[in-house]
Amino acid sequence: MKEQIQEAAARITAGYRLTDEAIGALAETRDILTLGMLADEARRLRHGTDTTFVRVAEVRVPLDDGARLEIPAAAREVRISDRTDSLTTLIPHVRRVVAAADGVPVSAFSLEALEAQAAISGRRLADLLAALRDAGADLIAEAALDQLSHAEHALEQVRKAGLGLARLTVQHTAGTAERLEHIIRARALQQSLGWIESFAPLGRSWPPGAPSTGYEDVRQVALARLLVDNIASIQVDWGRYGPKLAQVALTVGADDVDGVSPVDDTGEGRRRSPLEDIRRNILAAGLVPVERDGARRRVMS
Amino acid sequence: MSIEALAEKARAGARLNEAEALEMYLSAPTPLLGQLADQQRWKRHPDRAVTYIIDRNVNYTNVCVARCSFCAFYRPVGSPEGYVLGFDEIFAKIDETIALGGGQLLLQGGHNPDLPLEWYEDLFRAVKSRYPAFRLHALSPPEVLHLSRLAQTTVPDVVRRLVAAGLDSIPGGGAEILVDRVRKLLHCYSKASADEWIDVMRHAHRAGLRTTATMMYGSVETPAERIEHMGRLRALQDETAGFTAFIAWSYQPEHTLLQGVEATAVEYLRTLATARLFLDNFPNLQASWVTQGAKVGQLSLAYGANDMGSVMIEENVVRAAGAAYCMDEIEIVRNIEDAGFEARRRNMHYDVLGGPVFRERQVPRLLELAVARADGHRSVPAELINYPARSRAERDRRTRT
Repeated sequence: MKEQIQEAAARITAGYRLTDEAIGALAETRDILTLGMLADEARRLRHGTDTTFVRVAEVRVPLDDGARLEIPAAAREVRISDRTDSLTTLIPHVRRVVAAADGVPVSAFSLEALEAQAAISGRRLADLLAALRDAGADLIAEAALDQLSHAEHALEQVRKAGLGLARLTVQHTAGTAERLEHIIRARALQQSLGWIESFAPLGRSWPPGAPSTGYEDVRQVALARLLVDNIASIQVDWGRYGPKLAQVALTVGADDVDGVSPVDDTGEGRRRSPLEDIRRNILAAGLVPVERDGARRRVMS
Repeated sequence: MSIEALAEKARAGARLNEAEALEMYLSAPTPLLGQLADQQRWKRHPDRAVTYIIDRNVNYTNVCVARCSFCAFYRPVGSPEGYVLGFDEIFAKIDETIALGGGQLLLQGGHNPDLPLEWYEDLFRAVKSRYPAFRLHALSPPEVLHLSRLAQTTVPDVVRRLVAAGLDSIPGGGAEILVDRVRKLLHCYSKASADEWIDVMRHAHRAGLRTTATMMYGSVETPAERIEHMGRLRALQDETAGFTAFIAWSYQPEHTLLQGVEATAVEYLRTLATARLFLDNFPNLQASWVTQGAKVGQLSLAYGANDMGSVMIEENVVRAAGAAYCMDEIEIVRNIEDAGFEARRRNMHYDVLGGPVFRERQVPRLLELAVARADGHRSVPAELINYPARSRAERDRRTRT
C-alpha cells in the first residue's frame, strides 16, 4: 500500500494520470494526511496558490407580486432556487430576476428538478432548458449526479440549449463505497462530456443526526482532486459546510469556494463581513484569494 | 535552519527550541506539520486508543471581579443576572452526570468576593460525603489565587485545605497566554500574572495534585507569544511532571468587550501540531471540539491530539462567547472510530476506565449541552447566609431580604 501511494505521489508530481492500482490504494488508505498532501500538490500544480470564491445572491421564485427585487451590489452570481411550481409559470419571474441582476450571471434551478418536471409534465427537457435560456438565465445552478435519471443525456441537453452548468454536485452520501462511486461517476461523466468546469464532491444533504465526519469530508475532497483530474475546479460551499471545514478543504485539494454571502453590512463591523472573513480564511490557509463571478471570470478589485 | 532540517530534527525526536518551534509554526506547510505531529503522537501512543472523559463543566457562579475583556460569561457583583449555585443544585448535576456514566465535575467559576474559602471547603466535603468515589477537578489557578487573597493565606495553604476537603485535581483554566504583556491587554494580569499562574501549578504539583494546562490563543498575542506560553509550560513540566494534558482553544469573540474575530480552523490545527512537537514532555493533547466543532475536532486526531476531551454534559463559558457545539458520548465515539482509532473512556489521570458506556447500558442522547441554570431562575441558595458577605451589593441584598 505504501509503495503504491509513493508511486501515486511520483505520478502526480510529474503530472501523469494515476494508474488503477494507485487509485485503489488511495481510495483505501486511512492516512488522510498523506492523501491531503498529494491532493494539495495536485491542486498547486493546476492552480498554484490562487483560490477563487464567488459571492452569491439567492433568490426564491415565484417573486411576490409588485415587490421590488433588490440584488446586493456585491453579488457576482444570482442563483434562483428550486421550487415545485411548474417552470412555465415561473418563466416570467426568471425574467424579472435576470432584469434585476443587471448583467450579473444568473444561474437557475437544479437539473434534476428540471428533469423531473419534464417527466411529470410530458414536455421535453430540451424545451424547458430552451425556455430558461430565452428568459435570460446563463447557467443551471447545479446538477446532482446521484439524482439525475439520465445524467449524461440531461447534461448534453444543457450544453445544446446554450446554457452552462455552475457545478456538478452530489446530493447524498452514505458509505465509503458510495462516496467513491460518486467520484468515479464524476470522472466518467467528464470523460464523456468534456465541458464540466466545477465539481462539488461533498454531499449536499445528510441523514438527520448522522452528518459526515471531518475525516470523511477531507478524504472526499482529496480523492475528488486526485481522481477527477479532468475537471479543473474542486469546489466547497462556504455557507453549507461552514468556514472551518471549508477552509480545511482548501488545504486538501479544493480551489474554489461557493456560497459566500454578498451582504457585507452585517452590523458586526468590517472585520466580520463575509468578504473579510473569506479573505482572512484563505490567507490563513496559505493561499491567495481571488474573487470570481458566476461565469468564472475574475473580478478586479 | 531550513524547514526540512527542522522537520528532520523533529522526526529524530530531538527537542525544538522556541525559535525553531516558531519557525515551524510560521513557515512549515500545514500537511507537513500534521505529519510530524502525527508521528510524535504515534511514538508516544503506539496503540490505537483515543481517550475521552464523561464529565460536566459546572460553573458554580458567574459573579466575578476580574472583568477580563475576552470573557462573555461573567457578571459584575450586584448584577441581577449574577448567580451562585446552591449545594443541592450541584448535587442534582452530579446525579445526572453519574446517570450518564460520568465520574467527575470540572468545577470552575467567577471570582466571587462573597464566596469565602470555607464555602468551597464545605461544598467539597459535602460532595465527598454524598459521593465518595466522585472526582472534583476544580478551581483554576486564578481561582486558587483569588481564594488565597480573600482568605489572606498562602497558595500552598489554600491548596492544602482544598485537598483536605476533597479536591482531586486542578484544571488549567485562566492561563490564556502566559505572557504579561498579553495579560495586561486582556485585563487579566491582576487576576493572575504569568508567574502567579505557573506558581499555583507548581504548588499544586508539589502537593501531589495532577493538573492540565490550557492556552487560549487568537486574541491579541503574537505567534511568538504563543510559543513563549508553551515554553513556560514545558519548563514547569520538566521541573514537576505534574501536567497530564495540554488543551489549546481559540478565543471566542461573541459578546465580549474585546470583540475581534476567531482564529481559523487551519490556525487551530497548526497550533495543535506545533504543540505536539514542542511540548515533548506532555503525554496528552486534547482536541477542542467545543470550540472547533465535531469535524475539525475529529481532524485534530491527525494533527497530534490523542484525546477527544470531555463529553461535557454542561458548558457555559465558551457558549456565552458564541461556540455552541455539542457531542454526546455516541457522537464522540463515532468520530473516534471513524478516524480509525479505538475509543477508551478515561478519568482525569488518563487511567482507562473501559469502553463506551452506551454500549454497556442505555443512556439518554444529549442533543444540546446543559446550562448552569434555566433562564429566569433567580433563586439565591439558602446556605449562603452561613458565609459572611464581603461586597456591599450582597450585604444590601441580605438586608433587603
